[in-house]
Amino acid sequence: MIYLYWYLGIGVVVLAVVYGAHRLTKEKKSESLRDLLEAVNPDGKKLSYRILNNFVAPVLAVILVVAVWPVVVYMQVKELFQKKESNGFPEEREFAVEREQLLERLTEQEIERREVVTDPLKAAPELPFGHLHAAWQEFLKGRADGAELWSFSARWQTMWGRKELRCGYVVVQDGAPGTHFLTVWKDIPDEAEADGSAKQERAKDIPG
Amino acid sequence: MTAQIAERLNYQGNDVAMCTNPLSDYFAMGGVNPRFESNCTALWRGYVGSWEIVNARLYLIGLNGTLEGGAEASLATIFPDYPDRVFAHWYSGTIRIPQGKQLEYVHMGYGSTFERDLFLDVERGVVVATRVRHNGTAESENALKVTKSAP
Repeated sequence: MIYLYWYLGIGVVVLAVVYGAHRLTKEKKSESLRDLLEAVNPDGKKLSYRILNNFVAPVLAVILVVAVWPVVVYMQVKELFQKKESNGFPEEREFAVEREQLLERLTEQEIERREVVTDPLKAAPELPFGHLHAAWQEFLKGRADGAELWSFSARWQTMWGRKELRCGYVVVQDGAPGTHFLTVWKDIPDEAEADGSAKQERAKDIPG
Repeated sequence: MTAQIAERLNYQGNDVAMCTNPLSDYFAMGGVNPRFESNCTALWRGYVGSWEIVNARLYLIGLNGTLEGGAEASLATIFPDYPDRVFAHWYSGTIRIPQGKQLEYVHMGYGSTFERDLFLDVERGVVVATRVRHNGTAESENALKVTKSAP
């Protein structure tokens, strides 16, 4: 019988630790999101749902943790180790512009002239790249002396098989493309693949 | 993963669900990302945007969310000089608007299917084409039909 008391006592300690960790990591939802979530789940206002969610479920959880705390401990330890192992998951290869994807060489002034954003409702600054003007200036800061600016268009396939079109401008130093600034980034359906070949052929005329 | 709460879109006078996240492209293209808090499995992105199409242009007109640290986010958080309306010139892609009755619930992202999908093809913030895909009816077997038309 003493062993049973010890077992249940340890179960209570495990319950306290789990509950404490839950309280520490749980953040308060914003009021606006709470209203939105309640609108999505109309059952949340029913008394039966509230009894189930706020009383029955927590009581059952307490009983379960105290009764089978070794399983709870095993699952927590397993989760910790799985988090460490998941760091070894193959990372998606990073997109980089290739020479074949270059379109035309442009000056900074030419690019900024063509990329000024205009809007009849004045909902964007009338600057090159509009709301992304600051990002463009940050991109230019990293350009070394003598580096060229080129436009590019690239078909890219993610690790998960999703096909994308990425267009923009890239810094080219000694013939090698470097950092880039995106102006278009969108998914493309499979039937659009044939149109990409024309742009690839044009890019082969790049000297150097 | 859980089915995600959609963005809201005011389209032709109707408030509809929009199963596309144009604001995520803004962050990915170098826009300031204030880091939203993801405290709900049905809202991993941490915010819900409200959008509007006026004269074929896509505008962000509202934002609800919580930042890391607990502060409430609004449109002014990301676009302080444009707290009421932002032209989404950075966005190119396809906006999906589900219509009709739900045919199949999928417990992941925007995977659930509905009787119809209205697609708005957008180029740099401007709607250039619309098309409808028929996925079937709720009382009969699924049938796929795609038609395409200019706006």
